[in-house]
Amino acid sequence: MKQNTYTFLFATIICVISAVLLSGISEGLKEKQKLNEELDVKKNILKAVQLQEPVDSKMKAAEVLNVYETKIEELVIDETGEIVEGKKISDIQAQAFYPLYVYKEGDQIMAYAFPIVGQGLWSTLYGYMALEADVTTVRGVTFYKHGETPGLGGEIEKEWFQNNFKGKTIWSTQENKLTPIAVLKGKVSEMYKDDPEGGKHYVDGITAATLTGNGVTDLIDQSVRHYEPYFSKQRKI
Amino acid sequence: MGESLLSKKNQKIVKNGLWDTNPVTFQVLGICSALAVTTQVKTAIVLSIGLTVVTAFSNVVISLIRNFIPSNIRIIVQLTVVSALVITVDQILKAFAYDVSKQLSVFVGLIITNCIVMGRLEAFAMGNPPWKSFLDGLANGLGYSGVLVLIGIIREIFGAGTLLGFHVMPPAFYANGYVNNGMMLLAPGAFFLLGVIVWVQRSISGYSES
Repeated sequence: MKQNTYTFLFATIICVISAVLLSGISEGLKEKQKLNEELDVKKNILKAVQLQEPVDSKMKAAEVLNVYETKIEELVIDETGEIVEGKKISDIQAQAFYPLYVYKEGDQIMAYAFPIVGQGLWSTLYGYMALEADVTTVRGVTFYKHGETPGLGGEIEKEWFQNNFKGKTIWSTQENKLTPIAVLKGKVSEMYKDDPEGGKHYVDGITAATLTGNGVTDLIDQSVRHYEPYFSKQRKI
Repeated sequence: MGESLLSKKNQKIVKNGLWDTNPVTFQVLGICSALAVTTQVKTAIVLSIGLTVVTAFSNVVISLIRNFIPSNIRIIVQLTVVSALVITVDQILKAFAYDVSKQLSVFVGLIITNCIVMGRLEAFAMGNPPWKSFLDGLANGLGYSGVLVLIGIIREIFGAGTLLGFHVMPPAFYANGYVNNGMMLLAPGAFFLLGVIVWVQRSISGYSES
């Protein structure tokens, strides 16, 4: 009995000490980590909109922020696609408002970027999608945060997968309706060999990560639909 | 005391970890991460530092409390100490080297399950004083690091033509039809390399399994 008491006591002491130390470290480094995360998000928006002069990976944090502030205009839109004046992206809490990032060179609108968020297989995937000024062609896609298996679903963060999306369209001119991009189980070049128009709404899947791919399909679909009321007003077809 | 900090015995401990009983080539531990993070030298170095720090300090902590740990929960206590250290390393990386920590993704967390750490705790720290344990952890960590960085260097040079991100393959090679070896960037490339390294190390140190 005495033995057991000692064992419990020892385990408790070790756990308490570890817990206190870890919460101290986590609390102390929180600010710095938060800044890093925000910077990472901004870098990803810049990457998704494919700047004419891309941000160098060796660029300092301050320079990246500077580029972001001069090139990107932040807007908030509501469910009906109207721009909400006087509201900042950081204020968004309710589901009915959505952040929109507009990339401008001078006064010329180059691209619209918006977050794409949703469930993959094991985790929530976070990324951005950017559309050209025509609001139908994809300019770029990034995924910057996920907990998928490295080498399988984790491939979504790789260039080859993200580059797949470039030049695809979310609007079908044949059927005249919204057709967000879906991830195939296989290769577009094989499955849509005879239908290049149809192939524009699909990208190559990742081998052994079909379920992550399905997640990507769903989350793009959902995210695009939130913005469609706004996009449809910009689109000239 | 009575024994100097770098006595013959202590030197032997260091030499064991680095060479004679190298954790990767002799004990064949930590192979998973040796394959996963060595496509680039940078990630290999960062994970090596992480593992070395964790092994050395968890060895010290466990050695300090080794006489108080109830033996029926010793593995749990060891794991708690290791996890606490690994989370600390992870948090520090997130704060000061965010990009690298993203590239390493789950592998920092997986140091917890790296057999080298637990192996040294069980085999050494539970029965030796703190300074010796520290040397042992450090030497084993560095022994692991040496192999990792070596594989990283070879894989990055032949797989991507770069070293720490700088181009080292002369452009003239590419002009004459040289192409980067894609297999080096995949797991099999690392397996072959590791096999060769184990072979070379064992034939020099004269170890055979029988």
